Amino acid sequence: MESIKIRKITSIWIITVLTLFVASIVLGILMRLNQGGVLQQSPITFYSNMTIHGITMIGIWFVAGMAGINYLMERYVKTSYTANLIALILTVIGVLMLWAVTLIGKFHTAWTFLYPLPLKVMWAQWATPTFLVAMSILSIGWLIWGISMMTQVLKKYSIAQAFAWQHFKKDPGVKTPPFILISMITLVGVITCLFVAVVLMALYFAEYFSGGSFVNDALLMKNLTYFFGHTIANEMLYLGLAVIYELFAEVSGRPKWKTSWYVALAWNFTLIFILTAFFHHLYMDFVQPEGFQIVGQLASYLASLPAAAVTVFSVWVAVYRVKVKWTLTNLLFFIGVAGWVIGGFGAVIDATISNNIVLHNTLWVPAHFHTYNVMGNVLFSLAFFYWFSIQFTEKIVSEKFSKLILSLLIIGGAGFLLAFYIGGADSIPRRFSNYPAEFTSAKFLANFGAIFATIYLIPILMLFYNISKRCLKILFSSSS
Amino acid sequence: MQQSSILLLFFFLMGIALIVFTYVYLSSKKTDQGMSNPLKKRFWFFLILAVMMGIFASVTIPKSPYFAFADKTPAKVIHVAAMQFSFFLSENAIDPEHPSGQGIELPVNEVVEFRVTSLDVNHGFAIYNESNRLITQTQAMPGYVNRLRYQFDEPGKYNILCLEYCGMAHQVMRSSFTVK
Repeated sequence: MESIKIRKITSIWIITVLTLFVASIVLGILMRLNQGGVLQQSPITFYSNMTIHGITMIGIWFVAGMAGINYLMERYVKTSYTANLIALILTVIGVLMLWAVTLIGKFHTAWTFLYPLPLKVMWAQWATPTFLVAMSILSIGWLIWGISMMTQVLKKYSIAQAFAWQHFKKDPGVKTPPFILISMITLVGVITCLFVAVVLMALYFAEYFSGGSFVNDALLMKNLTYFFGHTIANEMLYLGLAVIYELFAEVSGRPKWKTSWYVALAWNFTLIFILTAFFHHLYMDFVQPEGFQIVGQLASYLASLPAAAVTVFSVWVAVYRVKVKWTLTNLLFFIGVAGWVIGGFGAVIDATISNNIVLHNTLWVPAHFHTYNVMGNVLFSLAFFYWFSIQFTEKIVSEKFSKLILSLLIIGGAGFLLAFYIGGADSIPRRFSNYPAEFTSAKFLANFGAIFATIYLIPILMLFYNISKRCLKILFSSSS
Repeated sequence: MQQSSILLLFFFLMGIALIVFTYVYLSSKKTDQGMSNPLKKRFWFFLILAVMMGIFASVTIPKSPYFAFADKTPAKVIHVAAMQFSFFLSENAIDPEHPSGQGIELPVNEVVEFRVTSLDVNHGFAIYNESNRLITQTQAMPGYVNRLRYQFDEPGKYNILCLEYCGMAHQVMRSSFTVK
């Protein structure tokens, strides 16, 4: 059973994430309004905002996923409060540094900080080393957290059991909970990509302090950057899925989901696909070995099979003709899974190399990854946040309130995303502060997106208020 | 047009997903008998998906740009050097110390090759036709040369946009050439 300390620290994580989420959405809306010609930001301001928008969004939903699995992991193993606290402190420090680097220092490499752009200083001199230090702090803090959680799992379960390999036998003996299996698989990916981030930072520092005698290889740096970036974004989604496997049945008033041989098989294979799909970010680098390109498309395609045939189908089995007790929590999970599937269609289309040549770096790219998040992973985390907040406080939200929240999320999200998909099909480039005049649909789509993003923001603010109020109560309560 | 087919395919798939999820959701209000034979249905769902993905993979991978016109000799080779924030295009190799370019005219209905590199950061070399549609692209990377082969079927003016974020003037970095 979890202690009061972990309740309180989880409350702090939730409030921190929601606050940064609201701030980041506002930055995003300002970006679209600038692209729509309603605002007139200087390009540097736009690109600095774009940089911190991307870094913050990936960062917060990653830590949200980690905080979620940490909290639920207490049901199975004792987790380290110290590691959780270290991660929280280092995350806050790192995030504050990154906000300073971008908004004050005007650092504007985009969140992917593609080499050698961070070293081509077109901003405050202190911004580049501070950026590298901040990213290192985050990587180290999150590594400590991830390694700690994995260690605690392995104290109770053997490696084979953590990966649920015994479920391939007729009589598995020890049963591995789905939550433990998925957390383990996901933590392997998390720890691997954070190690690569540390290596990447080390290579940057080496060049930065070498005074020109050590120059990195651009292709290697690109591979490392996208291995880190793709994998962390993918894993944060899977952290959300771990929570679904643990909570969906419980919240719906149904029997707990179990690990079967195909659940074990699907998730073990998923690990291989997650770790190799990142090659799809380098399709347009024709100097990349051809084998890697093909592995990229195959891994990206294959990753969708276990996701669809196991996770998505299991959600359908859990709902189809089943008298589910629908609440805000499991409705958010359910809609989030639908959003994840739709984002997956956009992703698999783009992961097809012969499509990528006309989609790469157009608005199709933000279309698919915003779908995964805005209508997918964010909803998974919001569901966990809401569920957590009502465990220890009175009065759940009314059905009317839930219906309003969900309607606005869906309407706002759909409109916002549609503008990106249509923009991508119109060949409109991504990451442009302003659009060339020849893209006649671009400004309209940008403003359309901004309006619907604002509609999406309304239920987020409502949930922010509702959930934070409860979390503050939990934080400042003196008893269990 | 490729982008139209892509968008249509996406909307079609999205429509199916929305119908299925709505149908499943609505069914949960009706009765409590659950799904019959879920393991069998799951197996068939997996098999159908796997076969479809297999077909898509085997049809599309050979169409990847790495194999395009691989056995042809290009009628013309254009050297491209990207730099913050302009493109140099030349029929001769470009000196990184003193980059320069010239107006480029390419033959229609002939395979041409662009040899693309960067003199500083990552850029994108993206070709747009007169309808402002993206028709092909490659990356411009420091220390590497990407070879992009293409055959232009239509004469006219083609624009080059930078499609890899490269800094504060990324959005105005452009060039053009004609095909006759």
